[in-house]
Amino acid sequence: MGKLKLGTSDNLTLFIITIGTITAMSIFLPEKFLRLVNFQSMASQFPEYGLLALGIMLAMITGGIDLSVVSIANLSGVVGAMVLASHVTAQEMGISPATIIALAIIAALVVSLICGFINGVVITAVGVPAIIATLGTNGLFIGFAIILTEGHGIRGFPEEFLFIGSGEILTIPMPLIIFIGVALSISLMLKKSSQGFKMYMLGSSPIVARFSGINNAMVLIKTYLLSGLLSGIASIIIISRVNSMRPGYGYAYLLLGVLIAILGGTNPEGGRGGVLGLTMAIVILQVLQSGLNILGFNPFFKKFIWGLILLLVMVINFYQTNGWPWRRLVKRN
Amino acid sequence: MVSKLFKRNETYLFFVILIFSFVVTVINPSFLTIENLFDLVKSSSGMAILAIAFFVGLLSGGIDISFPAIAIAGQYIAVNTLIALGVDNLLLAFVISCAVGTAMGAINAFFISTFRMQALIVTLGTANIFHGALLVFVGTRAVNTGQLPDCFKAFGHLQVLTLTRADGTVYGLSIFAVLLLGIILLTWFVLQRTLLGKSVYAVGGNYESSKRAGINITNTLFFVYSYIGFLSGIMGVMHLSLIRYSNPNYIVDTELLKVIAAVVIGGAKITGGSGTLTGTLLGVIMMVILEKNLVLIGLSSYWHQFFTGFIIVVGVSITHYQSKLQKKRSLSFAD
Repeated sequence: MGKLKLGTSDNLTLFIITIGTITAMSIFLPEKFLRLVNFQSMASQFPEYGLLALGIMLAMITGGIDLSVVSIANLSGVVGAMVLASHVTAQEMGISPATIIALAIIAALVVSLICGFINGVVITAVGVPAIIATLGTNGLFIGFAIILTEGHGIRGFPEEFLFIGSGEILTIPMPLIIFIGVALSISLMLKKSSQGFKMYMLGSSPIVARFSGINNAMVLIKTYLLSGLLSGIASIIIISRVNSMRPGYGYAYLLLGVLIAILGGTNPEGGRGGVLGLTMAIVILQVLQSGLNILGFNPFFKKFIWGLILLLVMVINFYQTNGWPWRRLVKRN
Repeated sequence: MVSKLFKRNETYLFFVILIFSFVVTVINPSFLTIENLFDLVKSSSGMAILAIAFFVGLLSGGIDISFPAIAIAGQYIAVNTLIALGVDNLLLAFVISCAVGTAMGAINAFFISTFRMQALIVTLGTANIFHGALLVFVGTRAVNTGQLPDCFKAFGHLQVLTLTRADGTVYGLSIFAVLLLGIILLTWFVLQRTLLGKSVYAVGGNYESSKRAGINITNTLFFVYSYIGFLSGIMGVMHLSLIRYSNPNYIVDTELLKVIAAVVIGGAKITGGSGTLTGTLLGVIMMVILEKNLVLIGLSSYWHQFFTGFIIVVGVSITHYQSKLQKKRSLSFAD
């Protein structure tokens, strides 16, 4: 019960910060921030790294981490893009664009699942800590993407495909719709399915989980399959929104993903984290980012700020669990 | 004695390197010449220093990924200070670069020891802070060869040993080799002959036990991360002297992976507490030989990153699979 309460209070803090940032932006930058276009552009930007952050969060809940999400997105994006780029020749052979698009999506998702499976196997069957396993596969996957493209970008996709990344339904951008759908399913999985329950158990204590009859290896493989799949979905949004694919895209998303997961209340040691907190963390960062862009800060400044926020949040988390230093001072006097 | 030698990872690695060098020399006779070896030492001593730095961090149980950012920050700040002051003094460049590096390392140590955070996450954050701060507050413009103070160029050319080819031209062993040797000896001495070195092993081996044994963990961690920063600072100046160009935007992630790969195939355990300096150096030699001869095996340069990732995955898999089997045999469930 105590743990549950802590979770809600964490989310409450985040909610207050979210409202605070949005209000601050609205007051200081009313003309530029409070516009439909701005909200639309924010909503089509964050789903790609939001999905990657979701993957990192899932791995963190089980006490691991997935540092290969960006590389998986790159590799599956490259494969998807290669299928898509063949659409002109395919049409000559009588294959409709719709089939090509479907094939591309399937190819990207299958590749991402294979990558996730490789991660899962290296972590469970071989017993390598997730942090170094995924650091290694990170190089492996992006390296494979570079081999496939020989470092060049891939472009020339069918028109219809671009709808996924830049289309909108009732002024709501498609990426946002996809993100909401995926986030809801992940939330349901974590809260209602046995897989979700086992993931939290495993993250809290792998030994206890093992002696409670949980197949730790199976749970972990499923977790990394899922985080791979999320990267695959992100890659589809990316290639459609950018309308091209070049290996190395979105390198900064790794830091951003880890930052979002931790800011959203995920415990990197495992056992805690949720979709609601993560979503609010995304909103906070996206609003801040949009504000920094409007104010004309250069991109390096953003890098600086993200790093700073990451450390700040971890320090605050530390004091929240271990007690604030001034409380000890008050007690002593 | 001999049987003990054969149980060690380093022995195998040594033989693999021997066999591989032999194969490469058969294909390409110019590989095993003194000139080529001198050249390899010069171009890879920077990587070797970073590998030693990463290795020390790993021993203490932390993965520090901020060293490429620290190296570029130290280098860029040092060269710009020299240009601004109009001084042409290499020693000053080293002092500035190492001071910047040590200070940044101390920042890492502060967060890691005070808040007991995972080193990887802390350094992921600080790497971005350092690099971002460098670009925002110091500058983004590259320093090219023309603006570079002469001392760097002279340092890059300095040779401690010169030999003459058959046709009368000379080649030699770069001063980098001496610097590298000095760092190897210093690190070896600290790790094997001082209490501080033993505490580094102890903290990495088991945090809780080392705490109860009365080891000053804060001091140990401050030493480890400051030392990593210090070595990165040295590497920054060396790298600048080698390529004679300083671009602050250039932060090498492939370099990071290569260094990790080298240390990991050297047999250092990624969870800390075990590993040898010899293994790390052999790992570096292995990586350098493999990388320089990738083309010989018939792989284009596009394969580099894939290959490095592959080596890391296989390297860690071997060491961890062994320990997993061992755990199974001793019925230990603790991870």
